[in-house]
Amino acid sequence: MAEVSLKHIYKVYPNGTKAVNDFNMHIEDKEFIVFVGPSGCGKSTTLRMIAGLEDVSAGELKIGDLIVNDVEPKDRDIAMVFQNYALYPHMTVYDNIAFGLRLKKLPREEIHKRVVEAADILGITEYLNKKPKEMSGGQRQRVALGRAIVREPKVMLLDEPLSNLDAKLRTQMRAEISKLHNRLQTTFIYVTHDQIEAMTMGTRIVVMKNGFVQQIDTPKNLYNYPENRFVASFIGTPQMNFFEGTLKREGDDVNMSFADCGVRITVPYSALYKAQPKYLDGKTPVYIGLRAEDITIAEADGRAVIKVAVSHKEELGNETLVYGTIKPEGGYAEGAASIVFKDVSGRDIKAGDVLDVALRLERLHLFDKDTEMSVLPRIPEYNYLDCEVKGGRLEFAGAELALPEACRCADGKYQLLLPADAITPAGELKAKADDCEEINGVKLVALNIGGTRLYAVNLDAAAGKEVSFGIDLKKITLTADGECVVAPMPAENEIDCRFVKRKTVVTEEVNGRIKRKRAVRFGFEAEGAFFEASDTAVQKIFAALGIKKPLTAKFKLVCGVYDLAVAESGIAAKVEGLVCYGAEKFLRCSVGGRDIYVAADREYCGDIYLAPDFEKTGVVETERDIKII
Amino acid sequence: MENKRYRSKKLWEKTSLALIYAVLIIISLIWLVPFFMLIILSFRGEHVGMSADYLFPKQWSFDNYIKLFTETKFLTWYGNTMLVSVVVTVFQTVIVLMTSYALSRLRFKMRKPLMNLMLILGMFPGFLSMTAVYFVLKEINLTQNLLGLMLVYTASSAMQYYICKGFFDTIPKSLDEAARIDGASRHTIFVKIILPLAKPIIIYTILTAFIAPWGEYMFSSFIMLGDPDKFTVAVGMKSWLDNSTMASEYFTVFCAAAVVVSIPITALFIWLQRYYVEGITGGSVKG
Repeated sequence: MAEVSLKHIYKVYPNGTKAVNDFNMHIEDKEFIVFVGPSGCGKSTTLRMIAGLEDVSAGELKIGDLIVNDVEPKDRDIAMVFQNYALYPHMTVYDNIAFGLRLKKLPREEIHKRVVEAADILGITEYLNKKPKEMSGGQRQRVALGRAIVREPKVMLLDEPLSNLDAKLRTQMRAEISKLHNRLQTTFIYVTHDQIEAMTMGTRIVVMKNGFVQQIDTPKNLYNYPENRFVASFIGTPQMNFFEGTLKREGDDVNMSFADCGVRITVPYSALYKAQPKYLDGKTPVYIGLRAEDITIAEADGRAVIKVAVSHKEELGNETLVYGTIKPEGGYAEGAASIVFKDVSGRDIKAGDVLDVALRLERLHLFDKDTEMSVLPRIPEYNYLDCEVKGGRLEFAGAELALPEACRCADGKYQLLLPADAITPAGELKAKADDCEEINGVKLVALNIGGTRLYAVNLDAAAGKEVSFGIDLKKITLTADGECVVAPMPAENEIDCRFVKRKTVVTEEVNGRIKRKRAVRFGFEAEGAFFEASDTAVQKIFAALGIKKPLTAKFKLVCGVYDLAVAESGIAAKVEGLVCYGAEKFLRCSVGGRDIYVAADREYCGDIYLAPDFEKTGVVETERDIKII
Repeated sequence: MENKRYRSKKLWEKTSLALIYAVLIIISLIWLVPFFMLIILSFRGEHVGMSADYLFPKQWSFDNYIKLFTETKFLTWYGNTMLVSVVVTVFQTVIVLMTSYALSRLRFKMRKPLMNLMLILGMFPGFLSMTAVYFVLKEINLTQNLLGLMLVYTASSAMQYYICKGFFDTIPKSLDEAARIDGASRHTIFVKIILPLAKPIIIYTILTAFIAPWGEYMFSSFIMLGDPDKFTVAVGMKSWLDNSTMASEYFTVFCAAAVVVSIPITALFIWLQRYYVEGITGGSVKG
């Protein structure tokens, strides 16, 4: 049993294809994690990297406390079940299960005990003397499971184990694998393209597409709070209905217009608090998403009732899937106007009927038409407010605070972009906490300040209580007519560098005598400064780029403003100015044509040297944009 | 609607089958007649040399076989050939199987160019390098030596990788991967997983590895030149036909020797053909 940690994992093939991009995840002990996604999304590649069957191009893969990037599969303490069973055809079931144990040179009695026990758990005792070809698909997959569980691994890896079975057997085996997980109390990582398997088995699901992680969450949260249109469409059967449309706020209501068909309904603004104001301007196109079960046949006219012309239906016994179009004139349902909903009332519905259907607006999903990201994120990243700057003071929603020198701008009206994490517990501002919710370990507090809603993630408040807070002004943005007037302090600096080899002479004492010998050191060279790389860093660079490429490739050091310090020697920088946020001061320097910000305790001028803290500095290969360290 | 006349499917099939069989029978006869002639001539008791204008012997006898084993060096040559063939078979089979497995499973730089190079080199007849090989062997004192012959036959074994590799490619890689996770080394996977599944191709490799040196004449005649005790059967038997007097005397003995030479290959094939079956991987993966 073990935790599995994947940090900035990449898989890049020699031809440059990125199969897995910056995969980050921490898998808890005994979790049942499911990787799901369409073919070619990188789910199996990720699993095979965990198994050790594929090399990790970059990143850090940990099983338990051990970094296993360069560890043989057999030494990773994992077991794997393959999609095509991969049983040894010339061996009996007994020998198949015992093969790994024999290679471990376990005593014969122990092997027998484990094989019989596994066979008993999986109900294949009577087949132990048979060969795989004499067994059915389901039985063979049990043998493959048996071969995995006798190894008593820390992590069980299952690569689409049920996709070769028929529907009935799949359902049965699904339940058996879940039971097996409960019984073994081991970490399971399961790959499937079947969202039903993912939803029914996983404690958490990783949805992937084109090598990128789309969302990691529990099955329920994935279903209820998809972060983008892909997740919304991939999870749930039948697929979520999507309509193109626009939203226009009018007071406490928002008018939702469906494109092409002229349908309009009114949504209370309270349901769209988390949406950015730009989506409520009546012009920005959005995708309106509603699941089939959130649409029901309306008994009476209401504010969220629309007409649907039925095109056809699918009887499923306990419910009917009704397909149609929301075009009032009816006709063939196509593209943005097509709709599907579930009817459980059992009423007689015929093609050509025009029905009134009610939309459950509290279950509404909205997605940006361009980015396809949710317009209603569970944790809003930013608060969007109108504000005014007057005499060096910022006024918004009835609150007021002094702007530091770094944020000074001309008096006038601006739009304030306030990140949810810029609202800090210490401060003089006061607001009422309207609502508090815990989302994936983050406490989201909805503040009411002068009738305006603000979302904060760093506050410890109780709903209904007054709370004091401050604002980290380093993170705010002020814009006027779309032009950025005050920019936030960059979270990270980037400095171009190269990976170099240096030959040096080192002295060491052997039997009381000083000996000089030649040595090779590897390190990073930026703006003429050389920083020796740690052994781990050197290993990671060579593992990611091979033997020759590291010395010719371009890299950049990525470090925060607090991870760079002014030093006696180091990266040559030219001070361009001092940025003051009250007591906090930062130097704005120029390094190789890039602007770099460094926390400083006093003012400097002219040429200085900077030294990065390599414990906290990342290294990115520029060409392929891969974070290697 | 006008009734369209269709050709009878059964009649067509029967006619085409009959034609195919007729052609096959003719080809078989052409192929088998010399072999039967050889067997029949080996039992001819009368000494009429090569000029006889009849086929069936007037006097059936085993004299040719007795003379073969008592009055000629045939048994020595037979032993030489057997020794060379068996040693070459063992080494060549091992080398071909290992090369093919490596080329099928391992991915390394220059793998494809190496495979192409080996394929192209294999297309050139071996005797092109005969003179050079002879001088190399002479330098290391391996001419008129069976070890030299074994070296020459074994040296280019790896070039025959392509059929064997094709077979290994059909064995699912997931078997290797499952075994790697089970803790098997590459060697264990090769010996315990792949070889038991590769019986048909092992048999094929053994047969081809045995047949080639068994009947090879050109290299052995060149390397063993001048020492009749080191001759292989092909070289020795050819020496009987070097002049017309000897050819006339040894003609029927030659036929008897040819029959004896064909026995090991026939026996080997009969013995190994029971392993020469398909479907050995049944049940390992979803088919």
